[in-house]
Amino acid sequence: MQNTIHTLKKGEKAIIKDFDIDLVPLKLLEMGCLPGSLVELIQIAPFGDPLYLDINGSHVAIRIETAREIEVELIQNNL
Amino acid sequence: MIQEIIAFAILGIAVGFLVKKFFWKSKKKKDCGDGNCGCS
Amino acid sequence: MSVQNINVALIGNPNTGKTSVFNQLTGLNQQVGNYPGITVEKKMGFCKLPHNIKANILDLPGTYSLNASSMDESVVIELLLNKNDKLYPDVAVVVTDVENLKRNLLIYTQIKDLQIPTILVINMSDRMERKGISLDIPLLEEKLKTKIALVSSRKGLGIEELKELIVSYKTIPHEPCLNASVIDEEYFKKLQHAFPNQLLYKLWLVITQDVNFSNLDRNEIRSTFTKSHSELKRLQQKETIKRYQFINDVLKEGLKVDASMAKDIRAKLDRVLTHKVWGYAIFFAILFLIFQSIFSWSTIPMDFIDSTFASLSAWTAAELPSGILTDLLSQGIIPGIGGVIIFIPQIAFLFLFISILEESGYMSRVVFLMDKIMRKFGLSGKSVVPLISGTACAIPAIMATRNIENWKERLITILVTPFTTCSARLPVYAIIISLVIPSTRVFGILNLQGLTLMFLYVLGFGTAILSAYILNKVLKLESKTYFVVEMPSYKMPLFKNVGINVVEKTKAFIVGAGKIILAISVILWFLASYGPGKDFNEAETIVKERFADKTLTEIQFENEVASQKLENSYIGLMGRAIEPAIEPLGYDWKIGIALISSFAAREVFVGTLATIYSVGDTDNESTIKSKMQAEIRPETGQKVFNFATGVSLLLFYAFAMQCASTLAITKKETNSWKWPAMQLVLMSGLAYFTALIAYQLLK
Repeated sequence: MQNTIHTLKKGEKAIIKDFDIDLVPLKLLEMGCLPGSLVELIQIAPFGDPLYLDINGSHVAIRIETAREIEVELIQNNL
Repeated sequence: MIQEIIAFAILGIAVGFLVKKFFWKSKKKKDCGDGNCGCS
Repeated sequence: MSVQNINVALIGNPNTGKTSVFNQLTGLNQQVGNYPGITVEKKMGFCKLPHNIKANILDLPGTYSLNASSMDESVVIELLLNKNDKLYPDVAVVVTDVENLKRNLLIYTQIKDLQIPTILVINMSDRMERKGISLDIPLLEEKLKTKIALVSSRKGLGIEELKELIVSYKTIPHEPCLNASVIDEEYFKKLQHAFPNQLLYKLWLVITQDVNFSNLDRNEIRSTFTKSHSELKRLQQKETIKRYQFINDVLKEGLKVDASMAKDIRAKLDRVLTHKVWGYAIFFAILFLIFQSIFSWSTIPMDFIDSTFASLSAWTAAELPSGILTDLLSQGIIPGIGGVIIFIPQIAFLFLFISILEESGYMSRVVFLMDKIMRKFGLSGKSVVPLISGTACAIPAIMATRNIENWKERLITILVTPFTTCSARLPVYAIIISLVIPSTRVFGILNLQGLTLMFLYVLGFGTAILSAYILNKVLKLESKTYFVVEMPSYKMPLFKNVGINVVEKTKAFIVGAGKIILAISVILWFLASYGPGKDFNEAETIVKERFADKTLTEIQFENEVASQKLENSYIGLMGRAIEPAIEPLGYDWKIGIALISSFAAREVFVGTLATIYSVGDTDNESTIKSKMQAEIRPETGQKVFNFATGVSLLLFYAFAMQCASTLAITKKETNSWKWPAMQLVLMSGLAYFTALIAYQLLK
């Protein structure tokens, strides 16, 4: 299965691979959500949505439906 | 007498102000940026 | 040497401390936009600089880039594209946060491309050491082709250096720091060829943005250089990536972060404040604190203001030579002003809390916590901010909906926000509650009056949420749901920022609403003091005839004359004309007058009753409250403000759309008369029927 931000668990880190430009708001790109950026899932809101992310040092919250569109590659966390 | 003149002058100002506020404002296109927008 | 005026524009991402920099530069020399709540309007300030230069400083709305996705952002672009604008900046100051330098520099590179002299402010420099950040300023200045001011707006450091840089703005290079046209050279070459006199980046903005551009006909550009929406977006993505690459390259050399430093308190605080139990508990505790304090803490200054104005009226009536002007002053103008001033404590408290919540960064956590829940009702997590600031005033609250990306969620938020209990309802509630609800304690600590007020707030929110739910089902609008919220780091609210905010907004509110209230009080006084026909003009004879067989004391006689006059004055006639419609709600014609005048602004209610009850009142000393308490229904001898009428009035004010200004702002924000008309009809209808049912059940 393809990993997306949506499939990350709390505290996991990943690298953004690709996303459909038409489904992701430009504002998110401007905040640094670009292919190659490091993303960490910091917190999931109560009831499972939205997701609180650290993207390359920018702290943002997005909804699951957006998160589902952003493919990522998991970084194995040895800590 | 002088009291009446002043009192009615105040009335005139009050009416003029409200008329300007509620009837002329709609014609003014620019949003009210000088702090006199009624806010309640 | 004469004084030279220059225009300075402050630009930057939200949460970079831009407003703090603005406050540091201008102090209290500000003309803040008229609307309380969240900063969305243009803010102007003045600052004296060395060498006899006076700077007009414009604090533009916070924006992440020059790609406008909201009206606030369009304001920025339209100003920067229009060289003929009175406020077009001689120099732009881009404010960035040292902790988010990478992201904050994006807009900087865009402004640079417009070839406006640009100073870069790196703010929050006091946090650098704690975060292990070090900067190579000369290198950054060279790469970014600018001058940098390292500032801590919280501590007031670096402001003088910034002023020096602004003074010498002419020495700042104009040229852009990267070439945006590489994203599609063919296309850009053609574009430049067609409009050789225009700046390329400007043309690009005109093509991609929905903004006005006076110098060029946008349709002309678009028709020749058309691209599909998704092609344009792809190019914009390319542009963004390009810019980030450039910024990354620059920062790789210019910015060093020592990652060994400890994690900041953000993570710890977030764990508690967004916790699924504690998060909500804290949020509701804060709300409770706000509402309880507004009611209990502000009663002391409010009672003081009320009695001060009552004695001022009495003093005026006694000391000035008698005549119509004295009467106007003591019965119309002074109670009118008092009705405005009495607002100050509550409004100031409310703005104090809201601005602390905003400043500290907590508001974003609330948005995060509430999004899923609010979405069930067709709202967005971002609707929480309008709904909370709606407790101050619906107008700024409706303007604060601008950052809700989804049109349907935004529209519903706009439509239901006026249900929240705005501060204009507060004086009405306060006076009626104190008249009809006993001041007993329940469970030992809770004051019943306070609880009633709390209930009315909950009722307002509840109705807002419920109608949102219904609207969500009824309205057939499809729009993509986008939701991006920045979660800023926590900051201790700055006393200066909060203070300026509270003062400016309270002032704007009082002055704005106050003028209307005052004008209405004056007019009401005249309408109540004059009347047509002999019922009014020969009141004394009529009263004499009516009581021919009784002996009245002088005071009794005067009171009878006064009420005969009032009943037959212009306003009395108007009131009695609508009496049949409001009688089933338990209101007499005097309340009816207050209701009518409330449609200009709700808070006029108290002032109106004050004026009506003052006219002909021989005892000017009494307060508004005691006057209302003493009102008796002539037919039955019962108090006018009994429990049933009081509850009916409370419900009416809770639901009715009685604010012309709110309707106007809804019209402006939705660009249609349909939505404000809907608000007016549905809300007022709901108000009428609930008040009717309540009165009929309770009487």
